[in-house]
Amino acid sequence: MVKNILIAIGLPLLAFGIGISFMGFKRKIGARIQRRYGPPFHQPLLDIIKLLSKKSDISHGIIYDLGPMIALGASILTIFFIPIPGLKLLTGSADVIALLYIMVIGSLGMGLGAGESANPNSSIGIARALTLMFGYDLPFVIVIISVLLKYHTTNLYAITQAQAGGHWAMWVLPLSAIVGFIVIYGAMGEHPFDVVTAPHEVATGPMAEYGGKHLGLLFIDHAFHVYIELALFVDLFMGGASNIGWFYVKMFVLFLIIVFFDEVLPRFRIDDAVRFYWRWPTIIALTSLIIVLIGG
Amino acid sequence: MEKMTEQQFRTIGNMLRKRSLWMLHYCTGCGSMELPAVGTSRYDMERFGVVPYITPRQADILLVTGYVNTKTLRRIVTVYEQMLDPKYVVGFGSCPINGGVYWDSYAVIKQLDRYIPVDLYIAGCMPRPEAIITGFMHLMELIDKGKATGYKRYKENLEYYKENQRKVLE
Amino acid sequence: MNMSLMVLLLTPFTGGILSYLGGKIHRSVRYTFAILFSSLTLVELFFYYNKPVNHFVLGKMFGSVMILQINPISWLFAFIVTTISLLAIIFSVNDMEGRGGLDFYYFELMVVEGAMLGITLAGDLLTFFLFWEIMSWTSYLLIIQGGNKSIKAGYKYIIMSIIGANSMLIAIAMIYGKIHTLVFRNVAMLLAASPHGFDIAIFVLFAIGFFVEAAVMPLHTWVSDAYSEAPSSVSSVLSGVLEKIGAYGLFVLLYALFGVSLLGKLMPLRFPSPTIMYTIGWFAGISIVVSTFLAILQEDAKKLLAYSSISQIGYVVLGISIGTSLGVAGGLFHALNHAIFKSLLFFTIGAVIYRTGTRNLSELGGLIKKMPVTFTGTLFGIIALAGVPPLNGFVSKWMIYEALLQKKEVFLLILALIGSTGSFLYVYRLIHSTFLGQLPEKFKDVKEVPFLMQIPIWLLSLGTIVFGIWPGLAMNVIARGEKFFGITPIKYNLYGFPGGNGMGSLKMINISSVFIAGLIVAYIIFALGAKTHRISQYDNYAAGQVVTKDTKYNYSYGFYMFFGRVVNPVFKWSADKIYLAWARSANVFGDYMRRIYTGNLETYSSYIVVIISLVGFLILLGGKIW
Repeated sequence: MVKNILIAIGLPLLAFGIGISFMGFKRKIGARIQRRYGPPFHQPLLDIIKLLSKKSDISHGIIYDLGPMIALGASILTIFFIPIPGLKLLTGSADVIALLYIMVIGSLGMGLGAGESANPNSSIGIARALTLMFGYDLPFVIVIISVLLKYHTTNLYAITQAQAGGHWAMWVLPLSAIVGFIVIYGAMGEHPFDVVTAPHEVATGPMAEYGGKHLGLLFIDHAFHVYIELALFVDLFMGGASNIGWFYVKMFVLFLIIVFFDEVLPRFRIDDAVRFYWRWPTIIALTSLIIVLIGG
Repeated sequence: MEKMTEQQFRTIGNMLRKRSLWMLHYCTGCGSMELPAVGTSRYDMERFGVVPYITPRQADILLVTGYVNTKTLRRIVTVYEQMLDPKYVVGFGSCPINGGVYWDSYAVIKQLDRYIPVDLYIAGCMPRPEAIITGFMHLMELIDKGKATGYKRYKENLEYYKENQRKVLE
Repeated sequence: MNMSLMVLLLTPFTGGILSYLGGKIHRSVRYTFAILFSSLTLVELFFYYNKPVNHFVLGKMFGSVMILQINPISWLFAFIVTTISLLAIIFSVNDMEGRGGLDFYYFELMVVEGAMLGITLAGDLLTFFLFWEIMSWTSYLLIIQGGNKSIKAGYKYIIMSIIGANSMLIAIAMIYGKIHTLVFRNVAMLLAASPHGFDIAIFVLFAIGFFVEAAVMPLHTWVSDAYSEAPSSVSSVLSGVLEKIGAYGLFVLLYALFGVSLLGKLMPLRFPSPTIMYTIGWFAGISIVVSTFLAILQEDAKKLLAYSSISQIGYVVLGISIGTSLGVAGGLFHALNHAIFKSLLFFTIGAVIYRTGTRNLSELGGLIKKMPVTFTGTLFGIIALAGVPPLNGFVSKWMIYEALLQKKEVFLLILALIGSTGSFLYVYRLIHSTFLGQLPEKFKDVKEVPFLMQIPIWLLSLGTIVFGIWPGLAMNVIARGEKFFGITPIKYNLYGFPGGNGMGSLKMINISSVFIAGLIVAYIIFALGAKTHRISQYDNYAAGQVVTKDTKYNYSYGFYMFFGRVVNPVFKWSADKIYLAWARSANVFGDYMRRIYTGNLETYSSYIVVIISLVGFLILLGGKIW
């Protein structure tokens, strides 16, 4: 019981800490790639504190307030279904397929909030976000199905366990892992898939009307989001980890690759992003699925 | 005792707040030309947590870069009112101070702080990137000491500012 | 006791007649009778909750006994029929106010309810077919109540419906010609003993009828017109119930008449399930994806919902066609859930149309501040429709996914998952363009709908939550039904599924409670921050520009235009165009045929002369022309 309470309090803090550290790394590494000194490592934390301590705030309505709350609440919900080393968490209550749909509650909440802010930029941003999600979901479900078929289970913890001892799914299903990486990459909204928040086109999209504590909540949500995407990939393809340190290291390596790509690529147009996802990643994922189907 | 802690709390808040200043990406005049240099690798204002942001709801600093004609003033007032407290205005270059080269123009306002409260001026035509960064450092100091209270002045003297705005805009 | 099924069946018909006659006295009498008798039907139905009746002889016709029966599955569908019809009747009290011919409208509504109830209770094909015909015709009469355009839509519906019904009639005649009885059990025995060609013919003929009614592609083309042009409450009956009747028919065909083992013998087994069921599954899968894509690009709220209905019924048919216990349970559960959330959405959109008079999405916007109850209903409806936890649509869709995965039907699974993701796009468009965004000046004075119209919205929203968090409630009925048809039910409990046998586990109560806990954490952070103040919708970011009342500052027309650029090339052709081309060529052919009959006696006599001389010439040639 005490252990459960500790997990319930500790896991969100851990996830937030990991997420925020990656956000800090990203700004620092990005700056170094551009040959800048860059902000201090804890800059994202300062930003969040600043946003939450703003002295006035606006509201466009109840759903406008609820939107960031639903997004954050859903992110906190999601982290309990992604196993971390040594802990099953709630993976017995919802399997991978259910997890796919738990993960979208947040975007739905955010979409509703951004919709009520009555700003066309936000609306376009959400329309793009959903379209992009539709784009990367096709290869992603194929990848997920290949993994589920390979390991004969839909429980994420069991999948992680089955990869123990270095038999990572990344080596067993390399094609799926590549596509999975591209999908995670797009889901994190990095270049060239940052069509959703593209500041120069749609004025940060869904966040255009958000400021103050609303935006602070969205930043916290973003930290969770970074954690969720990376942890999911590590659990699915990199065999989880034996302890939390290794878990962090694996996530960091993955994140490093993402940042390296992110810093040097331009931006897709939204329909080109969808076309991209429905072309090569889908074909590669299908190839991998057929290999799994034939090879068992 | 209670007052003390509140004071300390506020100080800590200011200390943290000054390290994260988001600048509204809004360019009124020629001064905006200097900003790419300040933002990119050579001078790198992100070192101090100063980042350009897009919409007034997200931003803390309104940087009035250069001359402000009457048409622009309406936008500046709208944008300033859309920003959330605490918000700071930085007058940039000599034009917002006294009109600069447009001192006798019928369409350009001469003194920005008659229309919105200005916390800090960065003088020069153009101010060099070093000057801009020093300006930001000064603003941080002001925030730390709790002296950058332009947003409070605007609320207290709303009648005065509105009156001046009305004279020009109508 | 033995009369009771008859009483249950006759209640809505009686109510229809009484409300028709009562309406001649005063309109309140009409409403009282309609609501009273339809709620009475629901109450009576609950007496059969745990009490299947196998054999209730209704009468005899053409030497075949007509039988009524009730088993848990037909109870489930009868429950859907009566509940949605009752709510539709309550909703249309205000919605249809001020239109002509209301007495007749309520009569039709109740007759449709009775007919659909009759179909679910039917124990033989004759009763089934009789009520089917009554249902088709009365629903046609209901569709054409919606104004000028609806007449054309109804025409399309009735033509397709007749084609479907006639193909069923041929099948029934074929069976009748062999055994002179049409009771389900006897028919099943006949089919088991018949040659495979006969069986396949029967199956295909029946399936055409059910596909039309359930709106499975490619026989779906009537749906988008009929649903959008019919009155809102009728649309919800059509989508919520009439489609389910088609799915029920398919279920009866697959499991009561044929059975999985017989279907497996009909054609060589190449796939995980019997080939016929596999084919049906593919029809359903293509329905899901194609109509999802079509729904995304709609500009008309009810058309969007119509296409979404086709897509969702695809899940029901897909689930039923999988053939495993889990799949069937998922399909049937989704039928119930779809009835709940799609009727809810048709009611809320009906409420919007009632207040604003338009269903064009790009004209609406910002109604959340004016119609909060309708908005809440729509919100629950779309979350359930999109299959997002913790509401009901998720549970049944999840069961279907798991069933597909269990059977390793991966390509169908991909279609199903993609359809679900696509549904986020159109449901968001629906709620955004009606309720979010900027409120147009012309809708400044719009008010919330009257209380009577709110009742169905409240009740159905509650339904989405109840069946979402406690799926065991519905599984109770479904599991008994599966046992009745000889399928071993899956393990379930009140909160979800313990899993096992290649199926994952699900516990809805955990998901919803952790979600609520997360929301509370978020709320605490939110409440600690500065106080918010409400601002007007015109105080908005527009790059410094001042937004005024006369500028339209809203993004709603062509919401997914960029997505359209990706998929439009594929949608240049459609099944509807093919049918219309057939209809046109039939027209042209008929026109030429008509020209033969000039009405002139001399022409006719010259025809006779020409034909006789031709025949004579042929005889002269010795009957050899080639």
